[in-house]
Amino acid sequence: MIGAAICIFIFYFGLLASLLFSASLKGFWESLLHPSTLFSIRLSLIAATIATLLAVAIGLPSAYALSRFEFRGKRIVDTFLEIPIIMSPIALGASFLVFFNTPLGEAIQRKGIFFVFEFPGIILAQFATIAGLATRLMKTSLDEISPRYEAVARSLGSSSWQAFYRVTLPLSFRGLLASVILSWAKAAGEFGATVTLAGAMPGKTETMPIAIFTALASANIEKAIVLILILVFLGLVALYAVRFTGKIYRYD
Amino acid sequence: MIKIEGLTILLGSFRLKDFCIEIAEGEFHFLLGPTGSGKTLILESIIGLHKPKKGKIWIGEREVQTLPPERREISYVPQDLALFPHLNVRENILYGIKAKNHSLKTYEEYIESLIQVMRVGHLLERYPANLSGGEKKRVALLRALAPKPKLLLLDEPLSGLDPSIKFEIQQLLKTLHASFHPTVLCVSHDFEEAYLLGDKMTIFIDGKVEQVGKRDDVFLKPRSQKVAQFLGLKNLYRGKVLAKEEADQRWVLSFNNLQFSVPGDACQVQMEIGKEVDLFIRPEEVMIIREGKPVKESLKKNIFEGKISDIADRGRHHTILFQDKEEKIFFEISIPNYAFRNLDLSIGKSVKVALRDESLWVMR
Repeated sequence: MIGAAICIFIFYFGLLASLLFSASLKGFWESLLHPSTLFSIRLSLIAATIATLLAVAIGLPSAYALSRFEFRGKRIVDTFLEIPIIMSPIALGASFLVFFNTPLGEAIQRKGIFFVFEFPGIILAQFATIAGLATRLMKTSLDEISPRYEAVARSLGSSSWQAFYRVTLPLSFRGLLASVILSWAKAAGEFGATVTLAGAMPGKTETMPIAIFTALASANIEKAIVLILILVFLGLVALYAVRFTGKIYRYD
Repeated sequence: MIKIEGLTILLGSFRLKDFCIEIAEGEFHFLLGPTGSGKTLILESIIGLHKPKKGKIWIGEREVQTLPPERREISYVPQDLALFPHLNVRENILYGIKAKNHSLKTYEEYIESLIQVMRVGHLLERYPANLSGGEKKRVALLRALAPKPKLLLLDEPLSGLDPSIKFEIQQLLKTLHASFHPTVLCVSHDFEEAYLLGDKMTIFIDGKVEQVGKRDDVFLKPRSQKVAQFLGLKNLYRGKVLAKEEADQRWVLSFNNLQFSVPGDACQVQMEIGKEVDLFIRPEEVMIIREGKPVKESLKKNIFEGKISDIADRGRHHTILFQDKEEKIFFEISIPNYAFRNLDLSIGKSVKVALRDESLWVMR
């Protein structure tokens, strides 16, 4: 069984090593410092961060409600959180395109924000991909905290909001932060939905994963490798951040 | 005075109808019932975690059933204690005072004395994960009492503890109550706990209040066979009313063709000839008659001859299982150790016993 675990490690490690093997140091810096690469990196970081903030803003209250209360339709809501997981990202993006062709979608674009092939489209696509996941992950962290703590806090004089931020939030902080970081990493790596809804316009909507795709399509292997390495690096940093954040409490 | 009236809870499959209870200020009141009878749910409704379908809750003059938990001034010690793991003992204790924005100064002296009584002074900087079971209990009690609640709710405070710690916490609860007089409602399934700690108790079985009363009244005069059984009382017999002895205001009962003469004031139920009733023989009031000693007139009504079929040494007293000579009845007799030695009893020995009037009790 340990052997199987080691095999998985070798499998992934070999994959990453081959990237390093194919990259040359000189070409690496050239590709990295190229304005279009820097633009993609910046765009990805900004879009993923905004999408994650939005996902937390709506996901945290939803996660709390799903974790603590019983209400009609709870199961259905719970199931729908998995829609972005079972739905192919490209299908998700295509659904948005269809939606923005309906009268309501057109009205939103005309009177509000333009999404299709624009920067907000990236955020919308990433948000759609991670909102369900973020909610599910945060719900799991909240589920681990016994509601009894809040009950006692309230009997001692805290309002429900105070009980949340003085007791439940600090107790689940590590788990919540991990959920946020994982959602962010997922948003930063999102390709299918983004490319379908926001397109692949260099200097406008070309996020890192999209830039990898276009670089490969134009046989610019060097640039593709640089972008892949950066994505992998960001992902690994995020994973380590998850492992090392927050104070660890011992529960009993 | 804490008063609950007509509390009705419908939650899932649980149904509670018109639950009422009254607790005087400074009283240690036990809500006793078998496990799974919904006692915790009643507590949670009093705190305000569940919205009862119906019912009123008064804390003193204030009606609180519509208030959120934080404005009811009711503290709660759940069975799992729920000490905040991210706060140290001091912060746990002061949580309530801070949450209510009260000034720490006015509470200082009170908290100091609480800390002393609870002996947690040396633990203040520790985190809950580093406390023993008994220490956790003490801190949880202290945290609940710190903001001077109008009512303290305890959920099975002595369950799940090692016997030695159990004794310690029990003594502590006694001292605590004697020195600070909090009004306490304690939920438990353990009648011994209730006997040792409670001033008054409400016996709650199958969703109904079976009996309310002072501790001794409940233990010595159970209102029904259900209560007697729940309290672990031995010597319960289902008999029939045979006749009335008008002259002495007594009733004659029969069980297995044996006759008992019961004084009228020991009968909890409306007595009629032919009615089925439950007879309870209090083990500690039965007398074993010394051989050759004349029997007092007042005891002559209920004399049984038989033999000892078993003896158990209970430490502070002996329990003797008596069997009458026609093998129609068995009952336990509980006698002090000195009496046991004086009477020179052994298994198989023939004895004569007298059921004193005080040993008989008839219930519905």
